[in-house]
Amino acid sequence: MHQVEIATTQETLLDSPEMVLNMGPQHPSTHGVLRVILKLDGETVIDLDCDIGYLHRGMEKIAENRMYTMIAPYWDRLDYIAAVSNGLVWVETVEQMMGLPVPPRAHYLRTILTELNRIASHLLWLATHALDIGAITVLLWALREREEILKIFERQFGARLTCHAWRVGGMPNDAYDDFHKDVRQFVNNFPKRLDEYETVLSENRIWLSRTVGIGVISGPDAIAIGLSGPALRGSGVAWDVRKSRPYAAYADMDFDIPLGENGDTYDRYLVRLEEMRQSRRIIDQALEKLPDGPVNAKLPRIVKPPVGDYYHSIEGPKGEIGCYLVSDGTAQPWRVRVRPPSFINLQALRQMCVGHLVADVVAIIGTLDIVLGEIDR
Amino acid sequence: MPLVKTPKPTFAQKLKRFFMIDLIKGLGLTLKFNLGALTDKDSVAGKGIYTEQYPKVRPDVAPRFHGAPRLNMDPETHDTLCIACNLCAIACPEDCIDVIAMDVEIIVAGKPRRKKVLDEFIFDTSRCMFCALCQEACPTSCLELTQDFELATYSRAGFVWNREMLEQGRETVKYTS
Amino acid sequence: MLLLAPVNLLNDLLLKFFSAETIAFFVWPLIQIGLVVTLVALWVAYATYLERKISAFMQARLGPMRVGPWGLLQPIADGLKLLTKEDFIPENADRWIFFFAPYIAVASAFIVFSVIPFGPDWAVIADVNIGLLLVLGVSSVGVLALILAGWSSNSKYALLGGLRSSAQMVSYEVAMGLSLIGALMFARTLSLSGIVAAQGSDSIWFIVYQPAGFLLFLISGIAENNRAPFDLPEAESELVAGFHTEYSGMRWSLFFMAEYAAMVVVAAVAVTVYLGGWYFPFVYRLASGHHNLYVIVSLLVFLVKTSIILYIYFWLRWTLPRFRYDQLMDIGWKWLIPSALINIVLSAFAIFLVQALDGWRGFRTIELLDRGLNLTATGKGVMIAFGIAGLFITGALLARINWRSRNFNLKTQRRNIRLVNLPKGKPAVP
Repeated sequence: MHQVEIATTQETLLDSPEMVLNMGPQHPSTHGVLRVILKLDGETVIDLDCDIGYLHRGMEKIAENRMYTMIAPYWDRLDYIAAVSNGLVWVETVEQMMGLPVPPRAHYLRTILTELNRIASHLLWLATHALDIGAITVLLWALREREEILKIFERQFGARLTCHAWRVGGMPNDAYDDFHKDVRQFVNNFPKRLDEYETVLSENRIWLSRTVGIGVISGPDAIAIGLSGPALRGSGVAWDVRKSRPYAAYADMDFDIPLGENGDTYDRYLVRLEEMRQSRRIIDQALEKLPDGPVNAKLPRIVKPPVGDYYHSIEGPKGEIGCYLVSDGTAQPWRVRVRPPSFINLQALRQMCVGHLVADVVAIIGTLDIVLGEIDR
Repeated sequence: MPLVKTPKPTFAQKLKRFFMIDLIKGLGLTLKFNLGALTDKDSVAGKGIYTEQYPKVRPDVAPRFHGAPRLNMDPETHDTLCIACNLCAIACPEDCIDVIAMDVEIIVAGKPRRKKVLDEFIFDTSRCMFCALCQEACPTSCLELTQDFELATYSRAGFVWNREMLEQGRETVKYTS
Repeated sequence: MLLLAPVNLLNDLLLKFFSAETIAFFVWPLIQIGLVVTLVALWVAYATYLERKISAFMQARLGPMRVGPWGLLQPIADGLKLLTKEDFIPENADRWIFFFAPYIAVASAFIVFSVIPFGPDWAVIADVNIGLLLVLGVSSVGVLALILAGWSSNSKYALLGGLRSSAQMVSYEVAMGLSLIGALMFARTLSLSGIVAAQGSDSIWFIVYQPAGFLLFLISGIAENNRAPFDLPEAESELVAGFHTEYSGMRWSLFFMAEYAAMVVVAAVAVTVYLGGWYFPFVYRLASGHHNLYVIVSLLVFLVKTSIILYIYFWLRWTLPRFRYDQLMDIGWKWLIPSALINIVLSAFAIFLVQALDGWRGFRTIELLDRGLNLTATGKGVMIAFGIAGLFITGALLARINWRSRNFNLKTQRRNIRLVNLPKGKPAVP
């Protein structure tokens, strides 16, 4: 573990007006094992540094020693809250590199389940963000909705969290018998629940005073840092991989991208809530238009992409999650590099936090929606 | 704190702010949930209680659930369906499976032949990620992941299952109160 | 009077050993103290149970269900668990202060119950004629316990947490005291039983005359108790983990009990001063025949009213998010204290106006009344009008006082999130 140097002007605590404080890896509000080192002047943050790596598991190195079809279960453990989209980026990279045609029914089912996964991830974001700011009841309500989605995942994939949802070429199993009924029921119940969360939070003066003007990042700054996902769209930049480079069945879906104005925490909160509504709209359309047919393509005996490199990214719930794959023609990849959205979003933390109070740091970490599994891999 | 541009409030909005309508709406919703928890039966769409009182109530596990592994046997002859092809061990990303085969002599059409049968099957559930690649690889549907999720043991060695445990399953204590 | 049979027996038994004055002065108060302490301890323990159950119902879940039927024995299980924990004192901590701080907190919270009128006659331990002053004074001693606990823990963060909590409590005590003065001007006595009697004599609860005062008292009481939405020092365990970090086991549970007992104190004082205490209009008809039954029913009335205020505590905690520390202090000093002062001025003006208009049922000046106000219907109307007008005047003046910081305050807004439909790019998979 390296020593993080933050220069202080004087030696002892009592002399200097600045205090170095450690929000250590074990902390209820840092959403995983993140260590944030704060330099404070009283209660204002002057400087901030993040120390990561507590969850490093060597996923990219492991991937160099496994066959292509065996890597997908590991990818679930990256952004473990939204495992389905991680699996999707891996599988689509390999498929596109090999030029495999995936049947349309698989594309549509992938769209439905990935959007359900997006809603699940945003629900957990809402739950933990509200918990950090103090509205504890919203945590339990959002987790109840997420439970419904996880039940659908369990019935479809066999696991709730780390699903191993996709296979190269499609899906292992077709939709289970009650799939339409369950998803339709969820889609019908969901807007009412979102309205409930908005009733408690959106107009609440305490919520507004904790989130308006906190953690502001402007559009140009966001692009310079490389933010993506709701953090970028909250600052008003219109970039969504589902629209710019459509994958799966998104080219056929009709949905809108919510954009914020000021780039503060409240805007990102509203953007994510609206994204949940748009996701519901996508699921609705995809369920209607679901074509029949097979759900997996014919694969060669050993999956071997041609020699070369390929980068593919999708719009995960946290941002643009990408996979850069270098293949040397053998059954195991030469190098796999994940573009983790949370890692890049975390770079903005310093700029967002400096000048705010300590209690706001927790709110800002929450609004960036980071997952340490992705940051540390 | 940077100022954000906000529109000028109308008179109705000012009155609402004075009477703290935003707070009262939130409080009203919580009160409805409180009363609903006592009266409403619908927990998915309504305001009823969502808790499943496990272990009093056994949970509803999906048929496709990736749970504890099991080696299936032929229902009539009670022989194992495993043909010791080793495909599951090859498919496993974590190298949890060890298939030990042995050769036996059988007579086929009068001539003695050597057939490979299963001797011992070691499955290390502590390394397993429950990804179900082994279940997909098995050609005879012998290796299957069941709905059993209560896999805790008192020792590390208890996680390594042998053929007998895989075929017969484990005794799980069912709590009824 | 079957209810009283054991009491009479006990009285006769005691008369054999002690004189009548000793019994009246010494033995009965001890029995009353014993009963009150038991009642409050049980109440505090079951308040924790009720908080868990009520918060669970609000969150669509069940709460404690395993220990005893419906989880009713949960507080007892918690108490037993805490008693069996290892009792350790941190390495360089100040041993004696560390030892005494929880006791100071609990003592200050419990002593207050000696002056609170649970019922008419014998249901108050000591009806001191400066009861309200005693309540405010003794509950301030609880702040000392916080500082001592933070200091003696020998931990930078516990000390900072303790200082923050105590700064918050001290600020809101000012607002609490000032908000009571409005009602005091109506009751004209500091004795809590006298305040209840003043409300009884007019058959009108002071909340009707002083809605602003009630709200102010309740809000500053909640902040005084470090409860949500003002619980940043103790709940935001981000860095400053609160003054009771280093406490575990029974010492911690004493702090916990002190917090809940302080909640019950604030609720009880709010009920006494604003909601009529044990007084309920139709219960008095019982007084003529069955005096002791009247006292017991009044006691139950008091408990029900206090429980309603406790429900409001739980309700607020589990619905509203937390204020940040600077916003919290802002509210205490710039919103609540000016409101309390405005309330005092308006109440004084109201009393002057009633005196000028009406007299009090024939008395021309207030000094000739024993306690309370004996208002005619006109007088009541004037008071109620002032109560309601006071809310608006207070709001307007607060807006003026806080005009400079209006951009930092919250504006109710529904921010416009633009929905854009971008032009579609090339599909990645042709």
